[in-house]
Amino acid sequence: MHGPSGDAPADQAPEELIARIALSQDKSAFAELFDLFAPRLKYFLIRNGSTSEAAEELAQEALLKVWRKAKSFSADRGTASSWIFTIARNLRIDQARRDKRAQLYAMVAEFDDVDPDRPDELVSGYEHARLVRAAMGELPAEQLEVVKCSFMEGAAHSEIAERLGIPLGTVKSRLRLAMRKMKKTLEDLA
Amino acid sequence: MTIVHHPSEETLIAFVNGSLCEGNSLVVATHIAHCGKCQQAIRDLGMIAGGLLEQAEPAPIGKEARTACLSKLDDLPVEDVNAGTQPLRIPAADRAMAPLSLYDSGKWHWVGVGVQQMVVDVPSDTGTRVFVLKAAPGTRLPDHRHVGTEWTCVLKGAFVHDHGRFGAGDFDEADASVDHNPFVEKGEECICLVAMNGHVEMTGWLGRLIQPLVRF
Ligand SMILES: [Zn+2]
Repeated sequence: MHGPSGDAPADQAPEELIARIALSQDKSAFAELFDLFAPRLKYFLIRNGSTSEAAEELAQEALLKVWRKAKSFSADRGTASSWIFTIARNLRIDQARRDKRAQLYAMVAEFDDVDPDRPDELVSGYEHARLVRAAMGELPAEQLEVVKCSFMEGAAHSEIAERLGIPLGTVKSRLRLAMRKMKKTLEDLA
Repeated sequence: MTIVHHPSEETLIAFVNGSLCEGNSLVVATHIAHCGKCQQAIRDLGMIAGGLLEQAEPAPIGKEARTACLSKLDDLPVEDVNAGTQPLRIPAADRAMAPLSLYDSGKWHWVGVGVQQMVVDVPSDTGTRVFVLKAAPGTRLPDHRHVGTEWTCVLKGAFVHDHGRFGAGDFDEADASVDHNPFVEKGEECICLVAMNGHVEMTGWLGRLIQPLVRF
């Protein structure tokens, strides 16, 4: 078991930790998941504009929701980390403004019409996560930075350009290159 | 149905991230409801967001907060999955209109020759107005220029402008750089869901004349 510092790599994939919670309300699995994700969610939320206190609060709330909803996680629909990201995002927007966006997200996440370019997807979330991680690890630092600004901060291209002091066209091309590489990884699986 | 025009990558990322306002989210969600490709794209983007989360630099959580959080588990049951907690599975045929069906809307009223508008009740604090526009076949909308953005998802029929033909499911992301005079294809009326930020300026004498009537 890991201590509260939580930056050691997990012994078990987060998907398995969630399965243990679902199966037997396993508190040590939760503690492991907490140490793995709560501090990272906190960082993510701070980058998205939350104060440190609000981010810590929301990260805990998100993890408690992971506990409560563990049985509705399904590893063939996505990765544990994308599910946890979704839970935190919905809590964040619900807290900012009670509107129907979380309902919209839940709705479109269920749609599974055929993508004409990619008819079948037979790979588990776990395999996905491994490949996305690998693809991300291979991105040049300058591309990864632009990806992080887009995803974590929800920054518009023009804002990113201004902050990093690079031309708008460079932001666009870096993001495009990075996305192409990561999506290629996902597409190659299909 | 063949969809040609999709939201930009920037827009899809902003949707997944939760940084679009509700009105814009509704129009993007309506496109996604029509489009298998974008349904897959947002799954991929969610996966990438998850990957970034895994690799985020941890911001330490206080020991006491952690202990307090873990102590809550005793009173917090892991919920059983039942029909009440799972989102309803919407049949493919009903998907296209499903996002819009979450909202109330007003009555149709005329806003110009051959053009009717119905306001969708999306409470906004960002100044985005959402409405459905219905234009008769062959209608030529007055020349106009965008100040701000106008996102459109076609629900029925088709319109054509400088950037191509937009049929059912197509998504049109117009901003200040677009100066266009769209027209509705002959044969079928065109119905679109629109989220508008800022306003539209009519160009040409006719447009300026009807602008007070159109008010969008
Ligand atoms: Zn699409």
